[in-house]
Amino acid sequence: MDFESTYTPEQEEFRREVNAWLKQHVPGDVEHPADPADLTWDQYQLRRELGRQLGDKGWLWPTAPKEYGGGGLDVDSAVVIEEEIDSFGLTLPPYYDSGGRLGGNSILVWGSEEQKQAFLPPIFTGRVRTWQLLSEPEAGSDLANVKTQAIRDGDEYVLNGQKIFVGSDHGCDYMWTITVTDPEAKRHENLGWFMVPTHLNGITIQPMDLLISGGESGAGSGVKQTVYFDNVRVPAFNLIGGENEGWKVATTHLELEHGTGGRIGRNWLVDRLFDHCRTTERRGEPMTSDPDVRDRLIDVYVEAEIVRLLNLRNYWMRHSGANITYEGPQASYMRKTSGLRMSQAMLDILGPAGLTHDPELGASDGHMEAHSRAGIVAIHPGGTTDIQKVIMARRIGIGREVRERAGALG
Amino acid sequence: MDLSLTPEQDMLKAAASRLVSQEYPKETLLQIASPDETTPLEPWGRLASTGWLGILIPQQYGGEGGSFTDAGVLFEELGRGPVPGPHLTSAVLSALAILEGGTEEQKRDWLPRIASGEMRLVPAITERDYGWDERDVRLTAQVDGDGLRLNGSKAYVFDGETASHYLIAVRSEESEDVGLVVVPADAAGVRSRGLPGFAWNLAEVRFDNASADSTNVLGGSIAGGWDAWQRAVAKAIPVISAYQVGGCQAVYEVSVDYSRTRIQFGTPIGRFQRVQDQVIALVNHLDAARWTTYEALWKLDVGRDAASSISLAKAVASEGYYEACNYAHEVHAGVGSMTEYGLTLHTAASRTLYHFLGDPKQHRRELATALGL
Repeated sequence: MDFESTYTPEQEEFRREVNAWLKQHVPGDVEHPADPADLTWDQYQLRRELGRQLGDKGWLWPTAPKEYGGGGLDVDSAVVIEEEIDSFGLTLPPYYDSGGRLGGNSILVWGSEEQKQAFLPPIFTGRVRTWQLLSEPEAGSDLANVKTQAIRDGDEYVLNGQKIFVGSDHGCDYMWTITVTDPEAKRHENLGWFMVPTHLNGITIQPMDLLISGGESGAGSGVKQTVYFDNVRVPAFNLIGGENEGWKVATTHLELEHGTGGRIGRNWLVDRLFDHCRTTERRGEPMTSDPDVRDRLIDVYVEAEIVRLLNLRNYWMRHSGANITYEGPQASYMRKTSGLRMSQAMLDILGPAGLTHDPELGASDGHMEAHSRAGIVAIHPGGTTDIQKVIMARRIGIGREVRERAGALG
Repeated sequence: MDLSLTPEQDMLKAAASRLVSQEYPKETLLQIASPDETTPLEPWGRLASTGWLGILIPQQYGGEGGSFTDAGVLFEELGRGPVPGPHLTSAVLSALAILEGGTEEQKRDWLPRIASGEMRLVPAITERDYGWDERDVRLTAQVDGDGLRLNGSKAYVFDGETASHYLIAVRSEESEDVGLVVVPADAAGVRSRGLPGFAWNLAEVRFDNASADSTNVLGGSIAGGWDAWQRAVAKAIPVISAYQVGGCQAVYEVSVDYSRTRIQFGTPIGRFQRVQDQVIALVNHLDAARWTTYEALWKLDVGRDAASSISLAKAVASEGYYEACNYAHEVHAGVGSMTEYGLTLHTAASRTLYHFLGDPKQHRRELATALGL
């Protein structure tokens, strides 16, 4: 076993190249608001520009196929890029984009050659940002219960309906979505999956007022939106995977969203909490000399390490082609539940200083306060923790008569 | 990055799995565990004949010179039994202590015999005032002519009744130094008795004026012995965690199997989400224990600073094995408590290993120190 990438001299040279490039191109004034909703338009544009430059190098989506605008690089090189950008406090991509991470993979697996040529290079080079439109008022955990309709009319489909918990702030270029294409057909056999250009007539976007939108700073999604489709005419070319085949197409991005994509890297919020306790005094002593604080910090650390290792395992499994079953939803479940427990540890350690982002009386520039909300909200996106357990049980082979298989990742 | 086993490790795993199922079937494990039946000696002989007791011992001392990950793979399979010792104690802990602190002569004398299974050298460290700290060692060693005279009692000695020799933590009457001394189990003044109850292979070992040859003091002097022991413990812990991972894996598999085949209310109980909750909690503990353990083993193999990973692995694997057994009992209900079903072998092992070489609380405290808190 090797828990780290071992690097050849060529790869070490590559690391130096990436680092030097980032030093030159990462803007000095990139800031990380504690609440991603506070990401300004200017800050967003700085990140998008960096994304396009990374895309030109093939470093934005390093393992995506080169022929479709990705980097075509191996896992170890991708790890180098992720580690190096992480050392600048940024993620890959440096902004919220579910197209490269999720939807693009569905197109890669299920799209026609023409569709791949049309949709993927803009995504993988960072020219466009896309949002996912999945949840609806009647379709949360039960995604297949969507009511938004896309009815064929000549060379177009006409979309009507409402999607919620969508995207981020500052707009997008494409929306990918799942809709009913045959109202008469059976469940799971009645859906279509579309790439919808945002500029089409009949699309209305309204921000939602939520406790918080997402937990991660930097690449956090910011505001969530409601999107209304009112007789939106989408070219039939933009239907991926065929009419009534949408559920199949969705299984790919759902699989990735459920944690199977894996992840490398540390939980920076844990580092922040540790730093705060090391540098803050209580009764004339650093907080870290209080045995209660130490105990709770270690609780947080242990859980964060377990989540890090499960994410690392999934990252490796995905990229080595190992047989994945329950591991994706397991990592998602562990990440989410440990995040909520971490918010309680913060409450224990910090008291009310962890519940305010007041510049004077709040802890750690408001990051702790943001997590006191995000720890709750992050339980639900991409499938609630209960849904993750349902999927795990099916994959383990006890939930259903026939053991469920993981979605195709291509 | 590559989290798979090497082809050689895959072969080792398969061979160890075969040995466990052939030599240590449930009936044999229950027979060994029963206080009313005599322990059959053949399975231990077969295990010893594989050479695996020398997995961490360099080839120059009659061992296999394997990596820590190799040892983890092997002991994970033994943990699935759970195959009783003294393998973790003799072939891992004591062998490492000799490698860390023994003289060249001691290494040449003892290590080949440990590798062959002929010498079953069991550490006897803890006492009635239980603890793994140097301060907890009270048993005295008094200089007597050319050797030492030992007086005191070791309590809660894991594998204590299976030893051919003990590796005893002693406190020098003269210098107050704490070190390690090897004494045969059948020496005059040495008596052991197994502790009755739920404890898994624990014993008391008394030393009444037992004499030890000065050549049997680890490293030739009592001073420095405890440091060697601490270094050995650090390296042994992830291997012991791997054994706990094997235990988790075994109770997970039997729980999945049971929830697929046990019919109640006309359906396999695994269809009930309350039962699924138990199985999922179990596999989460299993995987947490597995990956913290194998990362610690990897760090030892590549020579990284492993202190925090070692404490992390032991805390997570000890809590994990303990909880895994609890969840397995939830899945099995009454059936799990029947001795003949075999689950309670793991439950007993999980309790004893929970505190062996430090309980999770201790390792969490050590983790805080290792992180510089």
